[in-house]
Amino acid sequence: MGATQKYSIIDPATGKIDRGIFSDQAVYDQEMEKIFGRAWLMIGHESLVPKVNDFFHTYMGEDPVILTRDGQGRLHALLNMCRHRGNRVVRCDDGNATRFMCTYHGWTYGSDGKLEHVAGMSEAYYDALDKPSLGLVQARVDTYAGIVFATWAEDAPSLEAFLGDARWYLDTVFNRRDGGMQALGPMKWLEPVNWKTMVDNCSDNYHVPTTHLSSARVQTRYLGRPPLSHKDQFESPNKHVFVNGHSLTFREAPDNTPRYVHGISKDTFPLFQAYHEATLPEVERRLGAFRARHVQLGNHSIFPNGVLGFRLALPRGPLQTEFWHFVLLEKDAPEALKHAIRIGSQANNGAAGLFEQDDVDNWRQVTAASKSRLGRRISQDLSMGLGHAGAHPEYPGVVSERYISENNQRLFYQRWEEFMNAESWADIPIAPITARFEGTATLHG
Amino acid sequence: MGKHASAKVTTVTVTPRQALWLELMAFYTHEAWLLDERKFKEWLDLFTDDVLYFMPRRKNVLRREAHREVTPLGDLSLIEDDRRYLEMRVARLETGMAWGEDPPSRTRHLIGNLVAEPLSKGEVKAKTAFLVYRSHLETDHQLLAGSREDVLRRVNGAWKIAKRTVLLDANVLLDKNLSIFL
Ligand code: FES
Ligand SMILES: [Fe+2]
Repeated sequence: MGATQKYSIIDPATGKIDRGIFSDQAVYDQEMEKIFGRAWLMIGHESLVPKVNDFFHTYMGEDPVILTRDGQGRLHALLNMCRHRGNRVVRCDDGNATRFMCTYHGWTYGSDGKLEHVAGMSEAYYDALDKPSLGLVQARVDTYAGIVFATWAEDAPSLEAFLGDARWYLDTVFNRRDGGMQALGPMKWLEPVNWKTMVDNCSDNYHVPTTHLSSARVQTRYLGRPPLSHKDQFESPNKHVFVNGHSLTFREAPDNTPRYVHGISKDTFPLFQAYHEATLPEVERRLGAFRARHVQLGNHSIFPNGVLGFRLALPRGPLQTEFWHFVLLEKDAPEALKHAIRIGSQANNGAAGLFEQDDVDNWRQVTAASKSRLGRRISQDLSMGLGHAGAHPEYPGVVSERYISENNQRLFYQRWEEFMNAESWADIPIAPITARFEGTATLHG
Repeated sequence: MGKHASAKVTTVTVTPRQALWLELMAFYTHEAWLLDERKFKEWLDLFTDDVLYFMPRRKNVLRREAHREVTPLGDLSLIEDDRRYLEMRVARLETGMAWGEDPPSRTRHLIGNLVAEPLSKGEVKAKTAFLVYRSHLETDHQLLAGSREDVLRRVNGAWKIAKRTVLLDANVLLDKNLSIFL
């Protein structure tokens, strides 16, 4: 085996990046190996498989995976590939089953992945088949606040280390309530876009006043929402922070108002404010007073392909991504509030979303630009805010001075290089956990 | 006058159900032309003030679990719009800055297979099938197939849609976005 090819696709001093990474098949194939074959990947949510023997069909990169809860209630991520010839053993999106029978020759697996039954074990195989070694291939599984992650890499660090200090911020959305969250979805559609552009976009608030101008206008008019102008964005007290591969934005909000999500309008605001106040003691107990009162996670991505909340950008070749949109709701929230969030989320994000409709042509042309002879020779410019980010006394990670910055994007592509250039996990740097996790909330909720 | 003047006039009697069918077929043909000619404000006039425009998701489930194939109201759907959201969608296009539809898509709505049946209180249930072709920018194109189940009622003598359920015949939607009306 030759040494790993070394990628040098971003110049950290200028923020220029090589466009070839968006369309080269060879780069994509390496990404599947070096990134999607190694990282902890978001694959589902515990609430999608609440009962024993429930299953939910998902993907790790392009590999089809069945998330199951076995008879003992333990979670498994099973490669959906029969160990005989390779047929899929599940063709449904979800369901409940104690075993999965392959429709080709009938090999049958338990919901824990074990091979239980083979037709003709003695008549055809002379009892020579080593059934215990032929269970469905399993990934390592762990959960964070109900979100299920899995990795193929035996040498990967713990999920806790992988998320690192990002969790300090993520908790302010995903880990607020004792009762946890429930996921609805996914809505699935295929975009002609390289997966990295969607991830990159999670920290791109610069595009909002231009791309989403029409939606912002009508929302101001019909729902009384803020105009999201350039001025609003440039003067925003929000910040960007990059932690351990994860791109985050957050609001430093001493004003003690609810996090601003789709679903908040002039009419529904009192509902959100009342809920915020009613749950504050619980959230303070769980996250400590500082995070409960001052920190609100905004747009973000979890490396490599978890996009803005619990949503997935599933790679389907260099020029295509299958996008999965879910909505997460706090289980114990009042029904009226859940309703407002669900309606707001599906009307604004998703395939038919007022906001999201306008993102796709931009992204696809960013991908397509990297295919033309001349286009691919001219680098992308990610120079915004160079030299204006660093450590912060109160907030963990690399914090950008301004809300509108390309610091997270530069660091995302550097993280990409770290994964792509590593021989194994031993070569991938992991930032130590330095944040003080006040309160009772843990990795597991 | 020629000899045809004395020809027998044939009267065709239509049953009330057939009359309804004819009326609604004209309604849906009219609606299709409004959409394809981008007369979206006039299209909005075809809906009642309390309209629910609903497009659930379609899941792959086993035949014996067919009741789980279409996601119910209350689950995440593709669209669940009230009148206000429908108006926002149209108003957005009119800003001239809804980039996903500016330049606009070229669409062709073919509506057929109408089945109509009266409900109580003067309301009518009408099911149609559609094939909608969308062409956008240079070479983007998509054929969307599905059905619509409407509840209609008369408002000031004209049919209006009070509830529309659009069932897309797709699990993973193959288009880049759903920015056209169905
Ligand atoms: S491929 Fe599954 S039993 Fe043969
Ligand atoms: Fe956007």
